Amino acid sequence: MIALKEKKGIVLFCLILIIIAIISLAAFRMTGPMGIEDRYSTAVGLPATGDAGESTGSGFSIEGNPVLYVIVLAVLLAVGFIAYRYLPKPGEGPETGKKE
Amino acid sequence: MAHIHLEDGSFTLFFAVAWWVVALALIGIAIWLLRSRYKPDDKKIIIAAFVTAAAFAIFQVQIPIAGGVHLNLTPLIGILTGPIIGTLIVFIVNVLSAAIGHGGWGLVGANVLVNFSEVLVGYLTFHGMKRITTDLFSQAGVATFAGLFVGNIVMIAIILISGIQGVHQTQSQILAGLSLLAAVNMGVAIIEAFITGFIVAYIGKVRPDILSGEGGRK
Repeated sequence: MIALKEKKGIVLFCLILIIIAIISLAAFRMTGPMGIEDRYSTAVGLPATGDAGESTGSGFSIEGNPVLYVIVLAVLLAVGFIAYRYLPKPGEGPETGKKE
Repeated sequence: MAHIHLEDGSFTLFFAVAWWVVALALIGIAIWLLRSRYKPDDKKIIIAAFVTAAAFAIFQVQIPIAGGVHLNLTPLIGILTGPIIGTLIVFIVNVLSAAIGHGGWGLVGANVLVNFSEVLVGYLTFHGMKRITTDLFSQAGVATFAGLFVGNIVMIAIILISGIQGVHQTQSQILAGLSLLAAVNMGVAIIEAFITGFIVAYIGKVRPDILSGEGGRK
């Protein structure tokens, strides 16, 4: 009975695997090999990242801007520090339920 | 896997902020639950730390298949830690990834939601599969397929709702393009399903206690 239950799982796994493999292979033959970013850009109609020299105009860009990266990281560090320093830690406060 | 690899500026500021707000609300709920109802023990915290490190590392490794893909291990996160701790893990992994230029800052919120859906569905499917089979490998493998499939659907939905700036394609053209992308992504899910299946089966053999409790098997 247990062996049958185990086999049921493997059969289901293999069935899903075969279906996914067929669909995925067909999709890959339509799109061809591409890098991750290029695949996304092509899918939504943006120029491939290699060709992207122009800005879309209406967007905002943090990527590639070191100053903004530093600002965002600094804000995250500050928030993390405040949360670590001032929020009660697990085990503190009214419900100290540390189990052994 | 299902991780939105678009540059900052692809979404309008409104949608970039909106997805961040939804993701932060989710994280807030997770923290509240962890503090009030599901206090994790030391073992669970250590597992969470290891899984976070592994997921972050594997995010950065590009596998040269179909031109380059990467794995997520999000269903494994769900199986080993559960969806509550998993929410925090995917947030940390996405923030650290954005910090080294893997995915835009503005897309962290959206990516957290995509990855959360993978964690949640991976966790639920893993437990649901116990009714069908006792084999840990297939439980985890099918959970991975289900999690990543739903993750791809959420990813498509988020992009369609947000729209892409500077693009003149119709919604149906974008949907067609993203469906092809999701289909290719699912091919990579096969690799991830095997890896997750073997890891869970191995853990089940040598340390079955790790799979017990939330996100595990008793």
